[in-house]
Amino acid sequence: MKRRYGVVVALCAATALLTMTACGSSGKGSSASGTTTLKIVAADYGTGPSNTSQIYWQGIADAFHQANPSITVQVQTINWNDFDNQIQTMVQNKQYPDITEGDYFANYAQEGLLYPVSDVFSNPSNLLGVFKTLGSYNNVQYGMPFTTSSRTLFYNKKLFTAAGITSAPQTWADVQADAAAIKAKGNIGFGLPLGPEEAQAESLLWMLGNGGNYTDSSGHFTINSSQNIETFQFLKQLVASGDTEPNPGTKNRTDLWKQFAQGQIGMINGSPALIPIIQAGKVLSDSDWASVPIPGKTGPLATTLGVCDFTAAFKNGNTSKQAAIKKFLDFAYSDTYQLQFDKEYDLLPATNSATQQLSSDPVFGPFLKALPQAVQYPSSTAWAATKTQIQQTIGTAITGDPSKVLGAIQQTATKG
Amino acid sequence: MTQQLVSTVRPRQKTRRRFQEALTPILWIGPALGLIAVIVLWPVVVLFQTSFQHISPDGFVLGSAGGKNFSNLFDEPDLNGVLIRTVIWVGAVVIVTMAISMLLAQVFNARWPGRRVARWALIAPWAASVTMTALVFRWALDANNGVINVFLHQIGLIKSFNSNAADWLGRPAYAFAWMIAVAVFVSLPFTTYALLAGLQSIPGDIYEAARVDGATPWQMYRRITLPLLRPAFLVAALINIINVFNSFPIIWEMTRGGPGHETSTTTTFLFQLKQSFIGESAAMSVINFALIVVVVLAFLRASRWREQVS
Repeated sequence: MKRRYGVVVALCAATALLTMTACGSSGKGSSASGTTTLKIVAADYGTGPSNTSQIYWQGIADAFHQANPSITVQVQTINWNDFDNQIQTMVQNKQYPDITEGDYFANYAQEGLLYPVSDVFSNPSNLLGVFKTLGSYNNVQYGMPFTTSSRTLFYNKKLFTAAGITSAPQTWADVQADAAAIKAKGNIGFGLPLGPEEAQAESLLWMLGNGGNYTDSSGHFTINSSQNIETFQFLKQLVASGDTEPNPGTKNRTDLWKQFAQGQIGMINGSPALIPIIQAGKVLSDSDWASVPIPGKTGPLATTLGVCDFTAAFKNGNTSKQAAIKKFLDFAYSDTYQLQFDKEYDLLPATNSATQQLSSDPVFGPFLKALPQAVQYPSSTAWAATKTQIQQTIGTAITGDPSKVLGAIQQTATKG
Repeated sequence: MTQQLVSTVRPRQKTRRRFQEALTPILWIGPALGLIAVIVLWPVVVLFQTSFQHISPDGFVLGSAGGKNFSNLFDEPDLNGVLIRTVIWVGAVVIVTMAISMLLAQVFNARWPGRRVARWALIAPWAASVTMTALVFRWALDANNGVINVFLHQIGLIKSFNSNAADWLGRPAYAFAWMIAVAVFVSLPFTTYALLAGLQSIPGDIYEAARVDGATPWQMYRRITLPLLRPAFLVAALINIINVFNSFPIIWEMTRGGPGHETSTTTTFLFQLKQSFIGESAAMSVINFALIVVVVLAFLRASRWREQVS
């Protein structure tokens, strides 16, 4: 009898606790004492605890709090593999973060969830103009470019020499021949990450090589165009010949980049962010690898993929919060922090003032000049769902029927 | 004592008293009922509601969808594969788990030196988080340097790393088989302990009597152990069916259901749908719910649960 009584008490306590926490969670955000708490959720560009973006953002948050004691900034970083998924879940549950840094989606602007840039940033004209359209919805800018990068082909000179290859590949035929030669020596020829992490980037890089893209020049989706189908037929054949890692549809970028840094992969498409990973691996010295324009079907790409990551500010219906967000973003976008980020991850700045400081840099300068011509992802509101579908399924075009897989994605993109 | 009190009070007080007596159990079970209502029933109601709503990918209700979520779901080209895989998943994991656990329980019930240590060791996979176990296996199966591949390489079964043969999780059929193995691994401790408890509840004198009558060990196992173990066996099997059907972390951590949806079960599939199609995901969840209810009812009926267990 006594024991049962205990159970009931425990149950009562549990119910009480549940109802109490349910009430307790509603009044979060700004408290009566005049302090404001902001929550920033950022993608993690680091490869481990030593260079996680948590450190970068916490440094800014601490310095900002010191200058503005009434505002506290909570930092949460999420790895790229889960970033979109978790942000989407927060949005679906209406637990909006105040600021996000990473992918930006036009559909959040369409739903009226975001502040226009002019409301939360003092000097919008300092943001790189090239990516303005990508961050806009209905001609109003909502996404603020934070960091940019371009894609090039990285290759392992050591493996090339060992396989008797003397020059970098320029065409798909070169890629295939070189990959086969490297594979014959027992290594992976080409690293092809078509797994869910960033399949949309790898696919686009190959599509561009055959004159294809996700959209045509007027912005209509052309995912299952004949060029794109041909591209995937080439990839299918490349994989079937064993010139890539096995089963590319299940392999993610981060893992393959690390494997490239370990010296096991001959060629891989990468961004400058791959450089610190190579250096941290301590297997390849600076002279053991090089990067060149990405090979296309008949010659190297004239324009590459320019990737831009954005910050965006969610409306939380509170003007004091809006002012705090503005203060913080102005603070975080200072040249010091822009350059610190770029130094940490070898990525590129996204403000005009920071860019000017790097324009004569031997590594970054050329890319910054090429940036205005770079190909970008579609800016339409259908992109978020389309991208999810690409990430999940495009890898199956390697084992299945490319026209069928691309056709299904096209259908999602145009469903409206 | 109570009898005396009741007999001395007037009729009106008597009815009041009876009313209070009727109330007492509600006071006792009330909190539990409340919890069940809030934590179990309410989400089911919301789930059914959601499955008929048109919801934007960002969580805004745009009105009623009628049966559109369900028709979209049934139009998914991958749905059939997912359903078939779910049946294989539950069937294989539960049957293999029960078979191995029957053996293990028998071993752990016998007396032998070191049994105590072995019993403790069996708890380990249970105590470790399933997510952690799944991650350990994912890296152990890594095509490049996973410990399982290193071992297979050393004994000559795998010729080279980074080959198709070493890439267990990249090939859907093999990935699925490995995940079934991991699911069995994490289900064994509970099942074995449930069966062990059942074995220990069988009185020793029954066996003694049988031995006196000249029964062979096999006869004793078939005629005494199996029938008396039936209640424990049924409970363990049922709980396993429910657990395995709803299992998410193993598949999510090892393959994310990929490539495509080729290693997804309904539980991981509905999570993937949720990213862009909340209503359709809820529809899948309703189907999932209906499926498990049907499976459990069928199981209870087939096993004549009432006579055996309660």
